[in-house]
Amino acid sequence: MALKCSLLPALRYAVVASICFKLLLYPAYRSTDFEVHRNWLAITYSKPLKEWYYEDTSEWTLDYPPFFAYFEWFLSQFAQYVDPSMLVVGNLDYASTTTVYFQRTSEIASELVLVYGLQNYISLLPDNNRQPAYAIAMSIYFSPGFLIIDNIHFQYNAMLFGILVLSLVAMKQQRMLLGAILFAVLLCFKHIFLYLAPAYFAYLLRVYCLDLSALSRNRSLGVIRWKNSIWLGLSVISVALIAFGPFIYLGQIPQIFKRLFPFSRGLCHAYWAPNVWALYSATDRVLFLVLRKVLKNPLYAEDAASLTRGLVGISSFNVLPDVLPRATFLLTTFYQLIALIPMIINPTHDKFVSALTLCGFASFLFGWHVHEKAIMVVIVPFSFLALKDRRYLTPFYLLTVSGYISLFPLIFTSPEAPIKYLYMFAWIFAFYNVFDGLAPVRTTHRVFLLDRIAHVFLLGFIPLLLFVALYDKFAIFSGLEFLRLMLISTYCSLGIIGSFVGFSWLYLFA
Amino acid sequence: MATSHGSTTSDSAVSTLKSEVPSIADEKSNNRQHGRQQIGADDETPLSVFLSTFKAARTQWVARQVIIMISLLFRLGVGLGQYSGFSDPPMHGDFEAQRHWMEIAYHLPMNEWYWYDLQYWGLDYPPLTAYHSWVMGAIGSKIKSSWFALDTSRGCENINLKSYMRITVIISELLIYIPAVSMFVRWTIKNQRLSPLHHSIASAAILLQPALILIDHGHFQYNAVMLGLSLLAITNILMDKLVVGSVFFVLSLCYKQMALYYSIPIFAYLLGICIFPRLNLSRFISLALSVLVTFALVFAPIILTSGGGLKGPYYQIVQILIRIFPFARGLWEDKVANIWCTLNTFVKLKVLYSADTLQRLSLVTTLVSVLPAFILLFLYPRKKALLWGVSASAWGFFLFSFQVHEKSVLLPLLPVTLQLAGDPGMNAQSYIYWINNIAVFSLWPLLKRDGLALQYFVISFLANWLMASFTKLPDSLLGKCTIILSYAGIVGLHAIEFLIEPPSQYPDLWVVANIILSFGCFAIFLLWNYIQLYRACRTPV
Repeated sequence: MALKCSLLPALRYAVVASICFKLLLYPAYRSTDFEVHRNWLAITYSKPLKEWYYEDTSEWTLDYPPFFAYFEWFLSQFAQYVDPSMLVVGNLDYASTTTVYFQRTSEIASELVLVYGLQNYISLLPDNNRQPAYAIAMSIYFSPGFLIIDNIHFQYNAMLFGILVLSLVAMKQQRMLLGAILFAVLLCFKHIFLYLAPAYFAYLLRVYCLDLSALSRNRSLGVIRWKNSIWLGLSVISVALIAFGPFIYLGQIPQIFKRLFPFSRGLCHAYWAPNVWALYSATDRVLFLVLRKVLKNPLYAEDAASLTRGLVGISSFNVLPDVLPRATFLLTTFYQLIALIPMIINPTHDKFVSALTLCGFASFLFGWHVHEKAIMVVIVPFSFLALKDRRYLTPFYLLTVSGYISLFPLIFTSPEAPIKYLYMFAWIFAFYNVFDGLAPVRTTHRVFLLDRIAHVFLLGFIPLLLFVALYDKFAIFSGLEFLRLMLISTYCSLGIIGSFVGFSWLYLFA
Repeated sequence: MATSHGSTTSDSAVSTLKSEVPSIADEKSNNRQHGRQQIGADDETPLSVFLSTFKAARTQWVARQVIIMISLLFRLGVGLGQYSGFSDPPMHGDFEAQRHWMEIAYHLPMNEWYWYDLQYWGLDYPPLTAYHSWVMGAIGSKIKSSWFALDTSRGCENINLKSYMRITVIISELLIYIPAVSMFVRWTIKNQRLSPLHHSIASAAILLQPALILIDHGHFQYNAVMLGLSLLAITNILMDKLVVGSVFFVLSLCYKQMALYYSIPIFAYLLGICIFPRLNLSRFISLALSVLVTFALVFAPIILTSGGGLKGPYYQIVQILIRIFPFARGLWEDKVANIWCTLNTFVKLKVLYSADTLQRLSLVTTLVSVLPAFILLFLYPRKKALLWGVSASAWGFFLFSFQVHEKSVLLPLLPVTLQLAGDPGMNAQSYIYWINNIAVFSLWPLLKRDGLALQYFVISFLANWLMASFTKLPDSLLGKCTIILSYAGIVGLHAIEFLIEPPSQYPDLWVVANIILSFGCFAIFLLWNYIQLYRACRTPV
């Protein structure tokens, strides 16, 4: 990957314009994630490495893998010249103007990784055929998801997805080793990308480590490409060693894993991510209310679910059977395996990206304690397929609209509300018009009726959002506060499940 | 990964652009065929690259909607910042003034509007502002009555109130100013047979004018309503819908009396087309009637409800006039880049002369400065000349008249910026972008006080960068020197202010320097403006 020092002009213009807008968001609302990252700056700066994963002065302990901790340490080296007070571990909720400016600036600067990834993606194509690649790259760069999660709520996702894009570009260029290393690096930044790991594993195994053509030549020993496999193993292990090595030496691996995978959390997050379990929980709530309020069934006098609700989310139900972690794990694995099979049979890059998307879908829809923000893990790989042909557009629209709107409750303060609505609307308006003009038409196998249903469904978001915005004005809903968020997450989950079904059908049968 | 910014980008980008975005090259050859030189199309700017995505005729309207949405997003972004007078009791600032008017308009009967507790932000705009405030106060009170409760809501700084107020500015602008701009640009494009791509570029150039965004959505005011009404008036007059145009102009005057800055050239133009080429008495009478009727209708509710017998309406009118034209408040209040403030640095005007003398002096100088515009437009009532006349007069008022606020620079800026919609050529463009920058710079002391430094730099950079305006310089050497020297002065002043505290005996030194520099540039621009007006009037049709 030759390091290009200049950006493509259109991309550079996009970056400058978007940075201008993001600078204006500096005074915007920021969530506790801002304090989380400030705390990590403080921990990595003022504590020795061996205390990083034990430090618990703040409730927002370090729970990302080591590369992210190193990244925070790197940032803290600059932070000390800006405002040393932000690097004091005990300075809880410290948010001076310079601290806000520093952290927000570091986030915007880190987005350049995504820009670099997208630049490489566009450059894959010859000069005269870049329109679709530009459209896809811009749609990712200007994604309302990143705007909400990174620039307002505050996280560093764009940078991480930049690494993912770089890895995908390397895979596309048949530079499997580089792709694998980049993905391993990504995993050591944020373990949520484990959602995508099965597709990487299966694809690398299939095209890089195995040579099935050897079977037909009756050389069963030649099936394994030994050199490739050893290189792959060595490089992935060395990435892991660079990340976890110091902690292995210190014997802290169990502690790190306790931090990374807090299994004590519930099935659903406090705000239900729009997945299958949101529907399940909603059904449970509705059944429970019907049984208690309408049928006055004495069995359901007490609200068991409310006892376990709160920060950890729901883990037990009133009417429907409880869901065990094992069940979610089995379901996820099952759907991921289904996604992998066509890719293993016919290992093209497009199949790989499709399998990646479906692995993301499976984990998001069926996983245990999924965050709504994880929808980006599905949207970004899907974006690269959106312009394959027209039939992909409907599931893409369903996914992006439902996924991004499900992020809206993250931003609940009034000054930012018009920005999230308008930015989202502008994004949909601009990119759907561009995508509609660019996607090649393929009339066979196109089910117009389903398209219509999807469009009606998408239009349904308008009354839904209006209703949710004016929720407080309806007196009859007082005492039913959960209904507001439940409505968004169940409606969005219908859209995302619809997109999953549509995309799976295209991938498996079309 | 190095990204170079600002002026250097477009230079270096031009060579690579042609291969990247073929559409621009197509557009260029089209323009050559028309023998025209247009902004953004003939010289690639970041904006034209973005918009080339939508070059297909089918998607042209998409581009225009996207531009409106993007300009609204930047307004919302600026709105996240502070407003004037935030946590600055007891009087706060313009935000509190506007909120207070909503409060009194909603709670008090009309006849008390111009009388109620005048020491605390007494209403000093004409009735249309009051009606507008009444509507917003009524809606706001439905949302949360405590935001606009009589007397008790003074100094309310609730975050949701701020959001509500910000949204009312956006919606007012969306309903009046933005349609006015679209209408004006559409007429200009049709009139001058320019390309549809140019339509989008021109709209963006006008809608992203930094000064208006910063004042209305940062500092907090509703200037876009008055400017939009004036623009609707100008557009309708250009479209030969004279009666509609004059009605809109009266509405604009009834929203903010500052629209008077435009009145002389508009009056001259309308009078001119009633007399030349031949006397058209019916046109004159219909215009006069429409003006009188509109004024009467706007003032009627407030006058008819004034009570107090026969004398009531009289006192009411006098009170409104006293409130609207506050001669008692002196030649100027705050530091502003007009001639009086600049002269005052060297000669203490207020000490040397009585208020009456100064008043008369300012009246005479203002009239002298706008007289050429009146005569030229009256004798040559040409569409091409109208905007130049309007801006010349507005500059005259801004630089010489009484009780001018620094924010009033928006008035001369509007007609100047509107020239971008047409076909002004590279030379004129360079002056127009330049004066926009000077105007924003003249607002810097105000914006800095409001805590809007970040927004000031971002929005100014954005506008200049999108139009690649720093790469544009006028043809004449004198013009080049003026622009480069003034930019150097701006950069220098910002640097000095950042690095050095002003000497203790002159705490306002940097502000004074700002005013003098801005005034010099404005005066030069007024001269240049007059040259343009003269040319537009005198060149044979």
